[in-house]
Amino acid sequence: MSARSFKAGLFLTEKGLLPMRLVLVDRVEQVRSCFYPLSLSRPIWELRCGMGTLKDKLLAVAGAGEAAYFVPGYMADAYRERVEGAVNDVSALRGDDLLVVDPRIRADDFDVAGTGPSEVGVDEKGEVVYARIAKGDAGRLDGSGIEAFMESAKAKLAKAACDLKRYKYSWDLILSNAEQITADFASAGRSGIEGVVEEPKAIRGSEKDIYVARGARVHPMVVIDAEHGPVHIDEGAEIHPFTRIEGPCYIGKGSILFGAKCREGNTIGPNCRVGGEVEESIIHGYSNKYHDGFLGHAYVGEWVNLGALTTNSDLKNDYSTVSVMLDGVRSVETGSTKVGSLIGDHTKTSIGTLFNTGSYVGGMAIIMATGKPLPKFIPSFAWFVEGVVTKGFGRKSLYDTARAAMGRRGCEWSAAEQAMWDGIFEITSAGRDRAVKRGRKAMLGR
Amino acid sequence: MATVEERVKEVTAHVLKVSPDEIKMEDSFTEDLGAESVQSIELVAMFEEEFGIEMDEDAALAVQTVGDAVEFIAKVCREQGVDVEQ
Repeated sequence: MSARSFKAGLFLTEKGLLPMRLVLVDRVEQVRSCFYPLSLSRPIWELRCGMGTLKDKLLAVAGAGEAAYFVPGYMADAYRERVEGAVNDVSALRGDDLLVVDPRIRADDFDVAGTGPSEVGVDEKGEVVYARIAKGDAGRLDGSGIEAFMESAKAKLAKAACDLKRYKYSWDLILSNAEQITADFASAGRSGIEGVVEEPKAIRGSEKDIYVARGARVHPMVVIDAEHGPVHIDEGAEIHPFTRIEGPCYIGKGSILFGAKCREGNTIGPNCRVGGEVEESIIHGYSNKYHDGFLGHAYVGEWVNLGALTTNSDLKNDYSTVSVMLDGVRSVETGSTKVGSLIGDHTKTSIGTLFNTGSYVGGMAIIMATGKPLPKFIPSFAWFVEGVVTKGFGRKSLYDTARAAMGRRGCEWSAAEQAMWDGIFEITSAGRDRAVKRGRKAMLGR
Repeated sequence: MATVEERVKEVTAHVLKVSPDEIKMEDSFTEDLGAESVQSIELVAMFEEEFGIEMDEDAALAVQTVGDAVEFIAKVCREQGVDVEQ
C-alpha cells in the first residue's frame, strides 16, 4: 500500500501530519490564464484531477497539518468563504515551518521532505517551484507581502535545482485524469461494495477494482466495467438503470447518472447530474448534463448546465493536434489530438449546442445554439445569440440565474461571490468587447 | 441628418423585418411588432451601434414601446455627449 491513504474525502499521510504549514500561491496572471476559464473563479489548486483536487494531493504528499492560501485579490473574500485556512494573510508566513509550493506540481512526483533545512527549489528558468522555510528563517524574510516574501526567500536561502513536473494548461489535467484516477484509487486503498448494488448487476473485471461507498446506490441493469481501470462510486451517488461505467472512473458524492454511457477517464461531481455519453472528462460540482449528447476530453466548471444534445468534438477529422484560444486572440497548440471543450462556471447551453474541437467557453456565458458548430472562443459573460456574441440581457440577469440555480441546491449566492464575478467581468472585458464588436459587424451585414 | 425617431424606426424595421412606415410610436416591440427575446437583444445592440452609445441592459430592455425607445435613446445620447437630431 502506498504511503498515502484516502480518508473522508481527503488524502492523509500514514505517517501523520507534520507540524508545518503548506503555503499555496496562485497570483501570477500569466500562469493562471493557462487554466482559464476554470481558474477565473477558483485558485489553480482547487482544480480536480483524479479523485480529488490538486490541493488534496499536495496536502497529502506534504503531510501538512494546515494550509495558507494566497490568491488574486478579486477572489480573496469569496475563497475565504470556502476554506478554513488563512487567505491572503501575511501573518501566516510567521510562526511555523513553511512549505511553499507551486500549485501546478504533479503531487505524485513531489519528493521534497516537508521539514528540514531551508531550501528554495528553482527550475531551469530560475522560477521558484517550492520553498521549504524553517520557522527561524521565515522571520528574517520580507513579510510585507507574499511576492516580497518569496523574492527575499529566493535571494537569501540556499537554492536547489528542481525539475519537478508541473501541469501547464487545463488540458494537461484532462489528459492525465485516467492515470490519476488509477493512482488515487490505489492510494485510497479501498474496494468492495459498502453501498447497495441492486440485482441484476453486471460487473466486469475484478471487484477489487470497484468501490461503491456507503450510501451509494447502483440500480439494476448497470454495467460496471473495471477491466481496464478502477471505478469509485462515492457516498450518496446514484446510478440509474442502463448506465455503463468504464474504469478508470470516479463518480463524486451525491452525483446521479441517468442511463449514461460513462466511458473511461471521467471525474464527475460532487452533486452532478449526468446522462448521455461522457469520455475522459472532468466535471466540477453541481453541474448538469442530464440528457443525450457527447462530452469528450472536456473540463467543465461548477453550476454549468448543458442542454439536451449539447455535444463537443474532441478529435479533428484530419487527426491533427488541437489548438485552443485562451484569450480570443492567440491559439495555443495543445500537442494532443484529443481535446474537447473548456467550460467555465455558471455557463448554460441550449439544446443542440455544438462545440468545435478545443473550444473555450468562459464563465457566466449563455449559449443559444444555431445548429452550426460555435466559434472556438466564447468569452465570459457572453450571450451567444443568433450566431454572434452579444451583451444580451446583461450581468444582473446572469447573477439572478446563478442565485436561483444555487438556491435550488441549498447553496448561497453571497455578496463575496458576486464581487468575485464583478472582478472576473473586469478582467475578461477585453476579449468580450472584441467579440461583441465582431458580433455587431455580423449583425449589420445581415 | 435623420431624427432619433426616424433612426429608431429604421433600425427596428431592419431587425424585425417590417416596413418603417408601418411602425408607430405607440407600438409595443413585443406585442405589436412581434419582437422575441432574442430580437430584443439584437435591437439593443443595433441601437448602440447606430447611435454610438452604451446603454444599461436592464434599463434598455425595460423599454416597451417605440416612443419610449426614442425618448430613452435621446436621453442616453444627451448623457453621453452624442449629438443627435431631435
